[in-house]
Parts: sequence; C-alpha cells; structure tokens
Amino acid sequence: MKGGEWGIYIALYFWLAAMGGGAFLISLGFKDRRTRQLGAWLALIGIVAGALLLIADLGQPARFWHLLAGIHPVSVMWLGSVVLALSGIGLFLLIISKEWPDWLVWFTAIMVLLVVGYTGVLLMATARPFWSGSPLLPWIFLASAYTTGAALLVLFGSHDSRLTRLSFNFAIIEVVLVIAHMIWTYSQAKPAVDASISGEYAWAFWGFIVVGVLIPLYMEAQRKAIALAAALVLIGGFLLRYFIVYAGQVDVMRF
Amino acid sequence: MPKANDYAILFDASHCTGCRACQVACKQWNDLPGEATENHGSYENPPSLSADTWIRMKFTEGMVGGEVFWDFTRDSCMHCTSAACVESCPTGAVNYRDGGIVTIDQDWCIGCRNCVEACPYDAIHYNEQTGVVEKCTMCYDRVSNGLEPACVKSCPTGALKSGSYAEMKKLAEERLAQLKAAGYKEANIYGLNEMGGTHVLYVLLKHPSTYGLPVGLKTEKQKIASGWLSAGIAAAVLGFAGVKWLSDRREEVGGES
Repeated sequence: MKGGEWGIYIALYFWLAAMGGGAFLISLGFKDRRTRQLGAWLALIGIVAGALLLIADLGQPARFWHLLAGIHPVSVMWLGSVVLALSGIGLFLLIISKEWPDWLVWFTAIMVLLVVGYTGVLLMATARPFWSGSPLLPWIFLASAYTTGAALLVLFGSHDSRLTRLSFNFAIIEVVLVIAHMIWTYSQAKPAVDASISGEYAWAFWGFIVVGVLIPLYMEAQRKAIALAAALVLIGGFLLRYFIVYAGQVDVMRF
Repeated sequence: MPKANDYAILFDASHCTGCRACQVACKQWNDLPGEATENHGSYENPPSLSADTWIRMKFTEGMVGGEVFWDFTRDSCMHCTSAACVESCPTGAVNYRDGGIVTIDQDWCIGCRNCVEACPYDAIHYNEQTGVVEKCTMCYDRVSNGLEPACVKSCPTGALKSGSYAEMKKLAEERLAQLKAAGYKEANIYGLNEMGGTHVLYVLLKHPSTYGLPVGLKTEKQKIASGWLSAGIAAAVLGFAGVKWLSDRREEVGGES
C-alpha cells in the first residue's frame, strides 16, 4: 500500500460531511423554512454518504457496528462515529417534523458542529507531523465547512448576498490558515509541505488556491455566474482535503 | 509507568552485532511470510516494518569526520504504558493485556487504521489480506507460558534479554553505569519516560535521535486534549464571525429568500 493508509474515501468523507454540515449550521441563521429544510437535507445526505464511505473504507466493513458496541471516549474516531450517528438521527427527526422544537435544533446543531470539528482533531492526534505539527487543522476544516456550506446553499438556489459574503470571508480566512499551517509545520514536515507546494500533490494544493478560492473570489466580486463560482468553491473544498490527507502521509515508509 | 512485575524486554545496543537472528526467529514463531524487497545499498532489510515484519534491525550508517559509524537498533513495538494505538482505537480491539503487553484482538478489529496513523514508532501495520492490523505481541503466547519471546531466545550476543520490568530496568541501569565508566559519555537508557514508560527498554551508546528514535514525544491523550482545545476555540471564534456576518444586513439585496 504505497502512499499511505488513509486515502480517497477519507478525503471524500471529510469533504461531504463538512460541506453538508456547514450548510446546515449556516441555514440556521435564516428564518425561512425553505432554507432551513434545505440545510437539513444537505447535511443528512452529506453525513449519510460520508458514513457509508467510512464503512466501505474499513478493512472489515461488516464489523462497523463494533464502533457502537463499546464506550471509548478518548478515541477521537469513536467519538466521531457516535456524533455521526446522533447527528444523522437529529437531522432525520428535523426533516420529518412540521415544527422544529428548540431542543432538537440545538442538539442537532451541536452534533453537526462536532462532526465538522472532530475531523481536524482526528488528524492532529496522529504521529504524522503535517497533521499534528500545528493546532490549525480544526480551524482550517471548520472554516472550509462554512465556505463550502454557504456555497452549497447558493448552488441549491439560496441567492442571498449574505451567503456569498460569508463564503467569501471564510475562503480568505481559510487560505491564510492553510499558509500559516504550512509555515508552522515546515520544520517537522518538510516532505509533506514540499509535496504540497511543488511535488506530487501540488496540483491539488494549487488547484485549491486558484480554482477553489481565487477564481470564485474574482467571479463573486464581478457578480458573475454565482452558481458556477459556488461550484468551483466546492471543488476547492475537495482539493483542500485531498492534499492534506495525501501529503500528510507522503513520507510514510512503505515498500 | 510499567509495574515491577510486568513483562519487559531489554535491548542493549552495545551488544548488538546486527545479525538479525531476532528478525528470523520472529518470522518463524509467528508464521510470517518473507518480504519482496530491493537492495537499497544497506544490509538493513526490509526498509520498514510491515504487517508481515514485526521486528527488524535498523541500521544507521555513515561517516562523521572521516570515521565510519555503523549502529544497530531494534525497531519494533515498544509496548507503551500509555499507548497511542490503544488510546486511538475506536473499538477497544487494540488493548493492554496482563503484564502490560499491547496486542490486537483480530476478531474485533475493524481495520480503520487509526492506530497505524497514531503510533510514533510506526510499529503497527494494516494487512490488506486480512483487513485488520498486526504487530509484535511480545510473544504473548510464549511469555504467558514461561518462555522467552522468540527474538530474545534467538539472540546470540545477549543484546536482547527479557524478564520482569524491575529486573530489566535494573540490568539496564547496571549496564549504563559500566558504559559510563568505560568512557561512553553519551550512553543512555531509552523508554523510561516515553509514552508513559515503555515495556521495552533500550541501552544506547549515543543520543536516541542518532538512531532515528523519536524524542520529546507527546502522548496520544495530550495530543487529543490539545486537539479538542484548539477545535473548541476555533468553533467559538469562527462561529462568532459567522453569526456576525450572517446578521449584518448592510449589503443585503432584496428580502430573505
């Protein structure tokens, strides 16, 4: 298994769950039922699809229930699988409810926030210096969840200027955080940073910067093709996860 | 810290000749297949541990000031007291057994590979054929029946020894005193504090980092705690910014959709 342990399914899962989860959290800032319902649907789809990818990625997929058969609160992955399950249940209940009870909205929002946030902690708690060398991965993943979540709502027809501005602002924060992370981890994770900037995964890193951030920012500033710009932001969100997951394992010795 | 009666192994780098009998014995006892590798210009082989190679000798070689150095260290599971593999495992399949040994319940492991990413010694590996992870068991089947681990049994120079943790620690300290007296100023014992104290102790002639051993390690619990702290601050700061930008209506065009 050359190139590392966690691969494309994990990168896709990080992307889908964060995008859907971000869309739901942002939709809670809207009063109208349509946007909120849309956010809940997008999050449910992202989280269910992501969870299926996680199960498919296991060496023993049929044993996935072992995750929920015990209590291992220290393990970030155990906590992640629990909040995935609980957020799925919460979102499902919201979708089938006519009225949204406050307690259920709060519960689901916290679970979804944990789904979006735990992935950064999961990577930080490893022996891979590109992931654990700085405390910024949770920040990057959260910022990206809001960038892509807002873009996803735009793509599904919520044309509110607050959404594009939110996406715009978080995209800038995200790029600053990614650059800070790479400078921060450079001394410990030189092979990974080099692979991102000029090596094997440079296409994904620069794709994220150019296709995922700079071009959409330009298009949004010009107020042109908002939907296309939103789609590019989503692609950028995937490229971000892709290079972080893969470059983080670039110096893992396998033969 | 390991308990006095825990199982332990002592590796003494000053006695190791790099013969790799331990590698072969491990393969034989544990029925592990060979590896297809390519010569990369060193007697060291294979180039890393894997699901089929649970112990190997790491060769550190080169030149310093015209002097050749050629050092050997054991590369395998350290059986940590605060083990990253155990603490990262979401099912409890990787766990501490009697006597402080860390092993994997292969009927319970789901193959998520979180332990592979977490281990600071790169000692645990995923087996694509079986879909679960594998590593050194300190020959639990042997030691629990009063035998030495296969690697220790095969060592012809006494570089590997096994027994209770208290015994191994005492031997290590005695050997360290001898080495210091013989003029090895940098000699040291590795594993007394790493990851809560490891059940495998190394007597080394030089600083651990010269053998490629990780120093200044944080435990998995410390990493997880700082991860959640950072995520909590991020959620608060970015959430506050998001709420502010969503509620600020200066640029709003038209009504709410």
